Amino acid sequence: MDKHDFAEDCVNLAIERGADPSRRDLIRNALAMGIAPAALTLAGNGAALAQARKEVVLVNFGGVAMPAFEEAFVKPFAAEGGKIVLDGSGALSGKILTMVRSKNVTWDICDSGVTSLGELGPHDVLEDIDYSIVDKSKVFPEFAYEKGVVNYMFSTVMAWDTSKIKTEPTLADFFDTKKYPGRRMMRKNSQAMLEMALLADGVPKDKLYPLDVKRAFAKIATIKKDLLFWSSGSDSQSLLRDGECVMGMLWHTRANVLIEETGGRIQYTFKDGLLQPGIWVVPKGNPAGKEAMRAIASMQKPEGQIRLLAAMGNGPANPLANAQVPAELAARNPSSPQNAAVQVKVNAEWYTANHTKTYQEFLDLISS
Amino acid sequence: MSVHASARERRAGLSLLAGTHTRYWLLIAPALFMLCVFYIYPIGRVLWMSVTVPAPGLGNYELLATSASIHKMLLTTARITMVTTVVTLILAYILAYTLVHSSPRTQRWMFLGILIPLWISVLVRAFAWFVLLRRDGLINSVLMSSGIIDTPLSLIWNETGVMIGMIHYMLPLGVLPIYANMRDIDQRCIAAARGLGAKRFEAFRRVFLPLSLPGVVGAGILVFIFSLGFFVTPALLGGGKTLMIAEYIKVQILEVVRWGLGTMLAATLLLLIGGLLAALSRLVNLRKLFGAG
Repeated sequence: MDKHDFAEDCVNLAIERGADPSRRDLIRNALAMGIAPAALTLAGNGAALAQARKEVVLVNFGGVAMPAFEEAFVKPFAAEGGKIVLDGSGALSGKILTMVRSKNVTWDICDSGVTSLGELGPHDVLEDIDYSIVDKSKVFPEFAYEKGVVNYMFSTVMAWDTSKIKTEPTLADFFDTKKYPGRRMMRKNSQAMLEMALLADGVPKDKLYPLDVKRAFAKIATIKKDLLFWSSGSDSQSLLRDGECVMGMLWHTRANVLIEETGGRIQYTFKDGLLQPGIWVVPKGNPAGKEAMRAIASMQKPEGQIRLLAAMGNGPANPLANAQVPAELAARNPSSPQNAAVQVKVNAEWYTANHTKTYQEFLDLISS
Repeated sequence: MSVHASARERRAGLSLLAGTHTRYWLLIAPALFMLCVFYIYPIGRVLWMSVTVPAPGLGNYELLATSASIHKMLLTTARITMVTTVVTLILAYILAYTLVHSSPRTQRWMFLGILIPLWISVLVRAFAWFVLLRRDGLINSVLMSSGIIDTPLSLIWNETGVMIGMIHYMLPLGVLPIYANMRDIDQRCIAAARGLGAKRFEAFRRVFLPLSLPGVVGAGILVFIFSLGFFVTPALLGGGKTLMIAEYIKVQILEVVRWGLGTMLAATLLLLIGGLLAALSRLVNLRKLFGAG
C-alpha cells in the first residue's frame, strides 16, 4: 500500500502523467531562464571544492521527484561547490525514528510535513534548524519552525463536479446534502479536514486556531453517511473523475490534473482552502552535520523553487519567488499572494501539540 | 553367543541412529539459524517492545480493556472476519461438493476457475471489484437498466464491499482443504446408508457431512487467520471507513509512532492465532489437515 503524504503523492502524480515530459519541461524552463548554462559552467569549478565538503543525503519519495529535485536543487548547490545526493526511499516518521534510535543515521535532510513535526517532536529525534545559516527572510515567516523549515507550499482545496453542481459551491454547501445531494470525499486524515469543517460551520478564519475539534467532528458527523475517505492522492483523483463523488477535498496538485483530464468538468477553488508547507527536517546526528543547513539555505533560491512549481505544481516557499513566477503558472500557484489571501494558513504549533491524538480520534469517528 | 551378537547389533544400530540424528541436525542447522536470526529474534523484539515502550509494564495491554477506539476496531475486525469465514465456508462447501461429484473433465475446468484468481494479485482483484460494484459499475447499470432497482445499490465503500472482496479472495483457500477431505470420503458409505433405507438428505446429513467436517474445520482455520490480518482489501474497498487491526497497527507504527501500542496489538494478534491453533489442535489433527503425515 502506498503511503499518503503530500510529498509522496507529487511523485505518484508525475508517474501517472508520464515522467519524461516533465523532465523535458524542466530543462526547457531552466534554459529559458538562463540558469542552466550558468550552472553548467560553475559546476566544473565547484567539483574541486566539493571534495572538501561533506555529501548531503536528501530523502524524498523517489520517482519523478528525483529529476525534478535534481534540476531544482542538486545542480544549483553543486554550482556553489556543495553536493546533494538524492535518496528516493521516502522518510516516514517511523523510519526516521528507527534510524535515530539505532544510532545509524544515514539521512541529512528529509522531505516531510507539519504532522511529522508533531509525531516526531516528543521523541526528540530532529535537529534544530540553524537560522544563522538558513535565511528566515527567504521563507514565509510562519512556516519557519524550530525543528523544520518550509521547502515548498501546497493546498488542500474543494473541488466539484460541474455536471452536477452548476454554480460554484461554498464550504457550507459541502455539508449541505439537501442543497446538493450526492457523495462527498474527504482525506482519511484529520489534517485540513477539521479546518474546512470549522470554516463551513461559520468559524471566522482568524479564530480558527486552536481548533475546536469537538465542533469539527460534530460537523463531519452530520454528513458521515455521504462521505468517502481517500488515502492516496490517486484515489482522490479517480473518485471525482469517475463520478463517485460530486464534491471533494483534495490536494491542489491533483485538482489541477483533474481539470485537464475531464476537460473542465471538475473545477476547484483556492477559496477557504488550507495552505500548508512541505517541510525539511534534519534527523538528529545526521552525518553531514551543518552542511545540511547550507544545502537547505541553497534550496531557498527562487529559481529552483519555480522550476519545482513548473514540474510538480508545488508552490515556492520563498516569497521573493512570486514576482518571478511566469504568468501562466501564477493562477495555479498555491502560495501566490492572490491565492494565499483567500486561504487559511496551517498552524503547525497546533499540530505539534494535538495531531497524534486528533488523528486517531478522527479515524475512530469515520470508521463504521 | 547368539544373545551377545544380537546385543552388539543393537548397540551398533543405536550408534548409527545417533549418528544419523546428528547429521540431520547439521543439515537443518543453517535453516534453523536463519529462522532464529531473521524470525524469532525480531518477533522477540516486537514482544519485548510491547511491554517496554513507552514505559515498562503492561500499560499497553491495559488499553485492550480500556480504550474505546481499540474496542471498536476489534469489533469491526471480529465482525468482518466472522462473516467472511462463515460465508466463505458455505460457498466453499457447495463448490467442493459439486467438484467432487463432477466428471474429471468438468473438474479440470472448475479447478482452473478456482486457482486462477489465487494467482492474481490482491490489488488487481480489488480494482476489478471496484469496476463491477461502483455506482455506475456493471452490476448497478445492469440492474438499473433492467428496471429491478431505481437507485444504485451501495455495494462498495462500506463493509459489504469489503466482505465481497474478502470472500472472493478467501474462496480458493476454503475450497481446497474441503475438497481434499471430501475426495477421501469413501462413497460406498453413502451407498450403504442409502441401502439401509436413508433418504438422500439424511444420508448426506448423517454420513457425508460428519465425515467432511475435518476439512471444514481446516478451511475455517485457514480462512479465519487470513481474514484477521487482512489489509489491502479493507483499505481499498472500505471507502476509508473500515478500520481493521492490520491497518490500525500500520497507523500506529508508521504514522503516529506509538510503537508500544502497535507492537502490543501485533503481539495480541499473534497470541490469539497461536491460542486458536492450540485449541483446534485438540479437536482435529492439524498435521493431517495441512497435508503432513
